[in-house]
Amino acid sequence: MPIVQLNHVRKVYDTKVAVEDLSFSLEPGTMFGLLGPNGSGKTSSIRMMIGITVPDSGSVSLFDKPFARKYLARVGYLPEERGLYKKMNVLDQLVFLGQLHYVSASLAEKRARDWCEKLQITEAIPKKTEDLSKGMQQKIQFIAALLHDPELIIMDEPFSGLDPVNAALLMDTLLDLRRQGKAVLFSTHRMDQVEKLCDNIALIHRGRLVLSGSMHEIKSSYPRNRIQMHFEGGDGFLQSPKIESSKRYAGYAEIKLRPSATLADDAQALLAEALQYAHITQFEVSEPTLEQIFIEKVQETSPETNGSDLSLDQLEEPEGSYLDA
Amino acid sequence: MPKLRAASLRNVLLIARREYRERIRTRGFLLTTIMIPLIMAGFIFGSLFLGSKASGDAQIAVVSSDTQLALDLQTELERRQQQQDESAAQSQEHAASRSQQKRQPRIFVDAMDPGPGTRAELDSDLKSGDLDGYLWITPAAAPGGRPTFVFTPRSSGQASIKNTLADALRQVLIREQLAHRGVVAAEVDTMLQPVTIVAARGFQHEDHESAEISVSVLFFVMYLVIMLYGMNVARSIIDEKTSRIFEVLLATIRPEAMMAGKIIGVGSVGLTQVGIWLSAVLLFAASSVGIHLGGDTLHISLTGPQVIFFFIYFILGFAFYSSIAAALGAMTNSEQELQQLNMFLMLPLLACFLMLGTLLTTPDSTLSRVLALVPPFTPLLMYFRVSLGHPAPWEVILSIVLTSASILGIVLVTSRIYRVGVLMYGKRPNLPEILRWLKYS
Repeated sequence: MPIVQLNHVRKVYDTKVAVEDLSFSLEPGTMFGLLGPNGSGKTSSIRMMIGITVPDSGSVSLFDKPFARKYLARVGYLPEERGLYKKMNVLDQLVFLGQLHYVSASLAEKRARDWCEKLQITEAIPKKTEDLSKGMQQKIQFIAALLHDPELIIMDEPFSGLDPVNAALLMDTLLDLRRQGKAVLFSTHRMDQVEKLCDNIALIHRGRLVLSGSMHEIKSSYPRNRIQMHFEGGDGFLQSPKIESSKRYAGYAEIKLRPSATLADDAQALLAEALQYAHITQFEVSEPTLEQIFIEKVQETSPETNGSDLSLDQLEEPEGSYLDA
Repeated sequence: MPKLRAASLRNVLLIARREYRERIRTRGFLLTTIMIPLIMAGFIFGSLFLGSKASGDAQIAVVSSDTQLALDLQTELERRQQQQDESAAQSQEHAASRSQQKRQPRIFVDAMDPGPGTRAELDSDLKSGDLDGYLWITPAAAPGGRPTFVFTPRSSGQASIKNTLADALRQVLIREQLAHRGVVAAEVDTMLQPVTIVAARGFQHEDHESAEISVSVLFFVMYLVIMLYGMNVARSIIDEKTSRIFEVLLATIRPEAMMAGKIIGVGSVGLTQVGIWLSAVLLFAASSVGIHLGGDTLHISLTGPQVIFFFIYFILGFAFYSSIAAALGAMTNSEQELQQLNMFLMLPLLACFLMLGTLLTTPDSTLSRVLALVPPFTPLLMYFRVSLGHPAPWEVILSIVLTSASILGIVLVTSRIYRVGVLMYGKRPNLPEILRWLKYS
């Protein structure tokens, strides 16, 4: 039974198409990554799942039924930017947000304290929200989304602005929740996080679905044509006709082989060739990383963006109105 | 019309309770609760004090080579004084405050002949404060013409003295002319006898004037609180927009519930404040200190219905204006932007203030009756009519129905603006955009 399902959803703001023909679904006990650069329609899609906006066409279903607001009590949502009352005491705030999700005040308080302990921020409980650091506020927000023990957890950029230790803490928490059978959906533009965490992904660009499916399927559908080679010495071997493109970094190179029926042999031949120029310390053949897949896909759909320097962060659009998002 | 389920009602109350609890704890609430009555009391006592000072007694010198004219003026002023004292004594029984408030200044006149050093001497007396002004009479150049009068007051604010003097002089001149034509002095007296109208007791209020003051104060309080808390609604929406708490809230509850909760919460804070003020005033009035201080010039005269209608119209007015304020808050992103738009809130309220004069003098005229039925004006103006005029029951009911209906309309429109506006960051929308928003969501 899909927990959340989008069916050919389309959302247009004024003249700007925010989301176009988007479909995907999410099963319980899985973690889903919604990927795309800023301004690609991630937040717009998420907002339609939680009823902040309504699709122009297509449909959203929650818990296998057409969307209805009453199901929102079973959904936990973490917005992209912190949404907390600055002047309010942390505990009061959590209890209030819990109550809005039909949790009794006493139960909400107990859960809030438990979660604070789990996320190592008990010292924040009596403080005012505005006195907390950004990372701590993010954790409070995180707790607020989970207080009512939701079956579906939707998080918009949950790890942005967190240091690696705290990001790892939240990731582990999400993995725990998945193990408990919750469905977790989060958006990000950090591909490494997705590769680590997600069972399924949907890649969107300019409001359109570019790629979707299980992480494993997607990766295995790509040929093992990527080589990462650490070496010392000359790099003349990079001129080999077997190489379609390469990037030279300090101490190593990323290589993409030309399409061929004998990729594995080509790779070995390239290694032999490279040995004549340099001392090889590491040689790894693999399918493209998600980031590489993503960049390729984005380039296919938007030919005007030029070439190999494209990275996700550069795809970010300037901060505009919500309607443009 | 959104269905009002038990669930959303519960959310409205949750939001309202949070809003109420957070606000009532702030230092700002404590401060306004204490400061506004102090400022208002200062204002009232100050103006009373200044009023009594301005109509105080004055020492005037009359410089004239025609001694008779100066003496006549002196007698005329004394006569007036006497008449005033008599009528004051008459009205003492039923309108104690009247004589006090409407009293003409007492003027004491010294007649003197113009001499070479007179003007310099008078000027120095003016400066030292021994004299409040002097009247210089230059005899007419041609026979039969009028003499010229130049009055030099100590301060320019003494218009009432000048008016009294001019009035008295006119009488003196008429008397002189009449005597000139052979009219007997006794006849002149009867002819010039002033007409006095004694105000009969109003049948509704025992003390109309005190009621007027009390109601005016309540009117002002209503105006102030609606303005203050209406802006608070707008500000708190902007606050939540900038802190993006809206997204979290909108993910569970409807924008209508959110807005209703906010208005109810903030409005309850306003009601609490007014409640505190009213009870404080009533306690003060009942206490011996209040009776001693206020005496019979300033006593609170409010009937039960006046208080009940105050709260009814306060609630209507607050709901009306704060839903407009909510729309303004939803459309703007910062306090500064709000400042530019808040004339939409201020103008109708200010208009009510300007119409107060009409309502005060003729609470039951057609104009007043029509104005009091216009929804933006109803809360303030109809309250005034109910308190001081005699509106027909159907007018009261109609005003409440009309205002409630327009509140509903505004809330419906506002909640749509709200739903889109609260999520709209960046630039401020223009009118076509707002109209488009109404189609969204």
